[in-house]
Amino acid sequence: MLTSRRALFAAGAALPFLSRGAAAQRQPGVLRFGLSAFPPSLQPWANTGTAAATVKLLIHRGLLSWDKEGKLRGELAEEWRNEGPTAWVFRLRGDALFQNGDPVTAADVKWSLEQIAGERSTAYLRSEARSIERIETPDDRTVRIVTKEPVATLPSWMASYHMPIVSRRSTEAQPIGAGPFVIRGQERGTSIELAAFDRYYKPGLPKLRGIRIIAYADENLRVAALQAGDVDLIEYVPWQAMAGIEADQRLKLDAVDGPFMYLTFNAARGPLADARVRRAIALAIRREDIVRAAFFGRGSPLEGLPIAPGSEFFDAELSRGWRMDLTRARALLAEAGHPGGFATSILSTAQYGMHKDTAEIVQQSLAAIGIQAELRLPDWATRVNLGNRGQYDIGVMGSTTDSNDPDGMNNLLNSGLPPSYVRSVNLRVPALDAKLAEGRAEFAFDRRRAIYQDAQRVALEEAPIVGLAWRSQGYAMPREVTGFKNLPGALTFASGITLEETAIG
Amino acid sequence: MAWAARRIAVSLALVWIVASIVFLVIHIVPGDPAELLLSSGGFAPDPAAVAELRERLGLDRPLLAQYAAYLGALLRGDLGTSLVDDFPVAQEILLRLPRTLELIGAGALIAVAAGIPAGTWAALRRGGAFDQIASATAALLLAVPVFVVGTLLVLVFAQLLRWMPAGGYVALADDPWRHLILLSLPALAIGKGLVAVVFRMTRTAVLDALSRDYVRTARAKGLSPARVLLRHVVRNALIPVLTVLALHMGSLLGGTVLVEYVFNWPGLSTPLLRAVEARDYPMVVGIVVTISALFVLLNLAMDLIYAALDPRIRAA
Repeated sequence: MLTSRRALFAAGAALPFLSRGAAAQRQPGVLRFGLSAFPPSLQPWANTGTAAATVKLLIHRGLLSWDKEGKLRGELAEEWRNEGPTAWVFRLRGDALFQNGDPVTAADVKWSLEQIAGERSTAYLRSEARSIERIETPDDRTVRIVTKEPVATLPSWMASYHMPIVSRRSTEAQPIGAGPFVIRGQERGTSIELAAFDRYYKPGLPKLRGIRIIAYADENLRVAALQAGDVDLIEYVPWQAMAGIEADQRLKLDAVDGPFMYLTFNAARGPLADARVRRAIALAIRREDIVRAAFFGRGSPLEGLPIAPGSEFFDAELSRGWRMDLTRARALLAEAGHPGGFATSILSTAQYGMHKDTAEIVQQSLAAIGIQAELRLPDWATRVNLGNRGQYDIGVMGSTTDSNDPDGMNNLLNSGLPPSYVRSVNLRVPALDAKLAEGRAEFAFDRRRAIYQDAQRVALEEAPIVGLAWRSQGYAMPREVTGFKNLPGALTFASGITLEETAIG
Repeated sequence: MAWAARRIAVSLALVWIVASIVFLVIHIVPGDPAELLLSSGGFAPDPAAVAELRERLGLDRPLLAQYAAYLGALLRGDLGTSLVDDFPVAQEILLRLPRTLELIGAGALIAVAAGIPAGTWAALRRGGAFDQIASATAALLLAVPVFVVGTLLVLVFAQLLRWMPAGGYVALADDPWRHLILLSLPALAIGKGLVAVVFRMTRTAVLDALSRDYVRTARAKGLSPARVLLRHVVRNALIPVLTVLALHMGSLLGGTVLVEYVFNWPGLSTPLLRAVEARDYPMVVGIVVTISALFVLLNLAMDLIYAALDPRIRAA
């Protein structure tokens, strides 16, 4: 064994020379970005995960985007306004080019939106695009979108990374975007090389010469790679590593509360069909424990609908509607005819620690009011499948809203939408659906705010989903990386947009 | 000849059985690739989009029809394409398998380079301090899981000392020096168990050889101790050691899953794991069938060689 130790020591002696090799990997002006996964697909309009979203934000641009404060800003469109309740007009900037050199025209915008709405489309915003009645292009720089119903939030669809505008000369295999970076090469499952697009429409941007994306599936290795200097930026910083990164003088952490955990229900039969039981469950959860156990204290309790405290639609009182109150919870259970509780099951997944840990705390919390819940923890693929089929009682889920606008909750709350693992099943709340529709169709802010306050009141009563905890979503980087910003709230996964302004040193 | 033909037929049947079992099992477990691909990140896809993708991928056809199409393609040597991005499965395997084999080869090399001299030295100084310490270390190496060793190596060499990259891969052709640096830690992690095995086997075999008559005769002839050791003891002791080494190489293939994950080494295990998670059926079946075929091929080759050497096997 001495030989092997000697060999190790000999290797150790040679190590300082080896680190020169590691340093040689750095190329000036090229940012090395450690992503949590390799994008499974870069189809411009399909939702194939947040890693793919980040890459799409490098190679594509939409009509609009979100700025660092989370406000809408122009991208390929420089101005936009609504004309009456059902029409939105976008005025394109004249100088934007696709990466094949063609100018971005109204015809490309029309073509892209038509592809998204198409019969054979797999786009995430397909149903939104299908609510468009017609698209008019009076000239090369003007796009007039007429919707079937009034849509106050249409600009936020146009800012989504699922709705980039690509050239009408694109093919399915080769979409042509107008973003700040061009893909130069990739090794499937491992890395993607991007170079700055030299004719990007924003003068002086992008600041970087290139970006090298490297997939690090193991969260600990991702942090190790940052600490060892192998990468310059990492996403999905594991909560347990956040304190260490904050304490490291060389590094900085940019974290926001954006995604959140919540419960869904199958209300087909049994006690969960009764809103009083669901409310009792909402009032029984020890949310502080979830934040502590699942997120190492990096998050905050979510005691109402997922409207972030920073939002102009936030209502402090309504946000505490499900604050823990075991006495009320027990009273509600008794009122519903289950004074001693009942037996049920919780569907979550063992594949992701935060889902499993959250489910365990929920199980313990329910036991305190007499509800005996059995945990079902299959792998993620099975969990999604069971959720979509409604083969569960209570589901533990994690997600974000589509935007920071309360309309972004529609996908999670609207009981008129088809069954999905992100929503409760067999649970109709027409009053809430009506409020969501009303909110989307209303243009005046004050009236919208009042509508969403009503929506929150209905939701607190009916508990179609139950908020559990906001979780912190973090990026980490060396201090010399500037210009990158984690966007607020639900927009955190759109933070890749700021890579055009990112620089090293 | 008839025996060899029968043996080859059995091997082909084995590959077919494995392919069928894997195909059926991965299709039977819950999870829908189209649904999963479009549900990434906890978002709900439009069911029409899922149905469209399912149709495009041919997943709406009856299982038996999919199985028949798969077998037909397999007979033509076509492993299909990934459901996720249409990438040819065979191309993915051709790209990644050599890296996994390289990792296993490097681990075995470390095991031989460290285990054989250490085992020999421990046998020569049987019961001494080195023997005791080395035997205890070997037990420890066998007991500690491979991912613990991997994580510790990253922690010490990449995070604390910052001497090595935390993981990753650079092609040998692009940068041979960096390729070897990146190979070293995962190779150490994967080779650690085998070092212990080779050490123990060598120690036992050398002890055995030392007590043999031919060693006594060699010494009596007046040969130098070094010559006795190298030509007579170690050389004879190596035969069982190499047999054990060859047997353990196969089990290393299982160990690579964790090591490749911990060190971000883009071998065959990562796409297999990802494919199982995404229910990427052709990729899962393609990789498992390739690995199984390799095993079957190795066994077949060994059987044929043994049979050539010892005709009694053919009669058995």
